[in-house]
Amino acid sequence: MTLFRPGDSVWHRLAAGPKAAILAVLVLVVSLLPLGWGWAAAVIPAAICLGCYAVPGIGMLPLAAELLAARWIILVTLAGQLLFLGPMAAAVNTTRVAAVIVVAGLLALTTRVTALLDAFERGLAPLERLHVDPRRVALLLAVTLNTLPVLARAAAQVREAQRARGVRPSLRRFAVPFLVLALKHADELGDTLTARGIR
Amino acid sequence: MSVLELDAVHVRLGDADVLRELTLSLDARTTAIIGENGSGKSTIARLVGGLVRATSGTVRVLGLDPVREAAELRRRVAVVFSNPDAQIVMPTVAEDVAFSLRGRHPSHPERVAAALDRFGLSALAEHSSHELSGGQKQLLALCGAFVREPELVIADEPTAYLDARNAHRVADHLFVDSGHRLLLVTHDLDLARRCEQAVFVAGGRVVAVGDPVDVVAAYERSLVW
Repeated sequence: MTLFRPGDSVWHRLAAGPKAAILAVLVLVVSLLPLGWGWAAAVIPAAICLGCYAVPGIGMLPLAAELLAARWIILVTLAGQLLFLGPMAAAVNTTRVAAVIVVAGLLALTTRVTALLDAFERGLAPLERLHVDPRRVALLLAVTLNTLPVLARAAAQVREAQRARGVRPSLRRFAVPFLVLALKHADELGDTLTARGIR
Repeated sequence: MSVLELDAVHVRLGDADVLRELTLSLDARTTAIIGENGSGKSTIARLVGGLVRATSGTVRVLGLDPVREAAELRRRVAVVFSNPDAQIVMPTVAEDVAFSLRGRHPSHPERVAAALDRFGLSALAEHSSHELSGGQKQLLALCGAFVREPELVIADEPTAYLDARNAHRVADHLFVDSGHRLLLVTHDLDLARRCEQAVFVAGGRVVAVGDPVDVVAAYERSLVW
């Protein structure tokens, strides 16, 4: 899994730390807009989204892809809000949720994982006084993100093997071999990290 | 200096005695370790790589104690495993190679670029590591190991998951003399014959050590159905 897209946009050129701070502020602005502002509370988040993506080197295609990837969250939010709060509140809140997702997505889209790790390490450096190892926490984050596609592949392998043997699908029959594969991967990954000098 | 010195090494994992009073001294540039499944080959590789501790006996790798001098060992020794998927740590090819140098070499972009070029991965530098083919993933694992310029490379069945073409490519990279020593655990007897020295292990004990042609022949004679 890699969300990063190489490029030369202003977002790509910005250092990971300041970029994360700017995006966090934008996400906060979008989240805290008062509902009493009416349609403006939907238009402003949408404008922020478009403004963030409408820079040379990014464009609307990645924005569409991000929205498509988040479609189920958006649809479920919209349905729930429509049911309980009515059309205007539903439109405003769903736009805000979608905006928060795609604005936050810019960080992964325009920042290499290594740059994110460095920024994360720097950000956590003050916690060293409290015996928190920033390098280890950053590595944990990277390894977690990177393990997702491996686990997805393991899940597909278990399902295929069970289909090949005519086993009826069930959560228990899936969970046990999947857990075994996941633990085996964890063991092997641990060896890899040790061999690469990570304590 | 010997690459590896094992003196009366015993390794017990759980209830099983995996290596029994093993005494071995290796100093060839390339050494193969062969033997049946469960013979203790991989345990030797893991012992040398500092991933397993000896229950008793003395282990010296490049003159280092793998337990007491683990940090120095990691700096000088690289390990390549058989499963390429389990060796990928970062999402893109270039980042995964750079990960090997994290915190060690400030000027690593040039070293990463040179390593990618050497292993024919330059065109895939920005590619997702997980979307590579099995052969490309194993080349990436080798690239991540060699970018650190190790003195000793331990390869535990590095061609086990690969087709013939990719197995040849990976083996060729391992055997190119870039100043490293190679300890190769393998079931591929042709690869074992390419080494300068071979060790035949059975039941956690060394059966034969010496010229690969003779050692492989001894192993083949032992395979009685």
